[in-house]
Amino acid sequence: MAVPILKQGGYLFVAIQDELTDAGWRDLRTDLLERAGKHRSRGVLIDVSTMEVMDSFASRMLDGIARMLRFRGAETVVSGLQPEVAFAMAQLGLSLPNTGTALDTDDGFAELRRRTGTVVNAH
Amino acid sequence: MRDMGLTAQNIEHRKTIVGLGPDDSKRIGQLGEVVQTNVERLTATFFDHLAGLDEARVLFGNSELLKRARVLKGAHLSEMVRGEYGPQYVEQRLKLAMLYTQVGLDAHVFLGAFRHLLEAIGACVMKNSEKDPMEGFENFMSLQKVAYFDIAIIVDTLVFERERIIRQQQEAIRELSTPVLQIRDQLLIIPVIGLVDTYRARLLTEGLLNAIRERRAKGVVMDITGVPVVDSKVANHLAQACEAARLMGALVVLTGISSEIALTLVTIGAQLRGIRTVGDLQGGIEEIERSLGGKARAPSRGDSYEGDPSRGS
Repeated sequence: MAVPILKQGGYLFVAIQDELTDAGWRDLRTDLLERAGKHRSRGVLIDVSTMEVMDSFASRMLDGIARMLRFRGAETVVSGLQPEVAFAMAQLGLSLPNTGTALDTDDGFAELRRRTGTVVNAH
Repeated sequence: MRDMGLTAQNIEHRKTIVGLGPDDSKRIGQLGEVVQTNVERLTATFFDHLAGLDEARVLFGNSELLKRARVLKGAHLSEMVRGEYGPQYVEQRLKLAMLYTQVGLDAHVFLGAFRHLLEAIGACVMKNSEKDPMEGFENFMSLQKVAYFDIAIIVDTLVFERERIIRQQQEAIRELSTPVLQIRDQLLIIPVIGLVDTYRARLLTEGLLNAIRERRAKGVVMDITGVPVVDSKVANHLAQACEAARLMGALVVLTGISSEIALTLVTIGAQLRGIRTVGDLQGGIEEIERSLGGKARAPSRGDSYEGDPSRGS
């Protein structure tokens, strides 16, 4: 099942559910790049607050998506990492060097605005 | 009893360690009568010796406990010569040992009194077997095995209790020494005091991450002025905590690295990769405010996007 990608002003928004398969991740990557190009998006917010596990594949995928999107002129912010997940990732040395991070979607959009220097979806 | 690992299996093992076997039970059985008839006198020997010692004055100051101790000791002597040394017997020993810890009776004091008791028992036994001293001696040696079995349990309990108190205190110190303080909206301070080991680093990181989520922090100043030693392991722990906080969208600044610690870190080549460091706490707060200048004004949860300029700074 495809992950819904929502357009919000100049940004795209994706909420990832737990149990996204490896193939699902690859489809999401393709879809996101395509949609970002189509809508000329300046930023993408990926919310992972419902994920209870973030393995090396998922975090590599997230960072890869961020790098690819940056080549196409869009910034990526990951929001809603749970404390346990963040702790496990730090211990495993899984960092997300190419994405911004935020506590929740509110902060995530704020971080996107800060990074892209525009206020697209406020007011 | 279970906390100390005193299972039925362990009790059997303890018996083989002191060499206590079925033969001994038989020999000890022959002593039953002698000891039983002298129980009161023997118990008195033990407590008379203790009464003369300054270390045992807590016990003698509490008549209730003293009475209980006398009853338990008398029961101990009767049990000692019965020949059954199972879990029930051990449980009785533990009761007495707990009483000793309650009155702060140290192992060396207890051992002294117990030796006097054994001497008195020995005298009784030898007197009773004047015709065959060899037999009496062997019987007494069997009883001595039980005595050493008992001593081992009592001493282990005393040590275990002391260690339990130390563990409790360590726990208390750990909890006290990792407070998370909020000094204003979205800004937290964590003063770390004392040695940081793997366990504490974990607690510290957990506390930090939960505080970030609960108080919606954007910036955290971790001050390590009170950490006496920072080696590569501790540096690694701190780096992990900072990395985890970053993943949750918060910026961590490390402050209070003394010149000695800085020298150590450089000498051992420890990397504090990805950690922002500032000289002192004040500098750390200023640094965070600079970095979050735009970010800290982001709307808080529940605020509308229009925002209220008087809030959320």
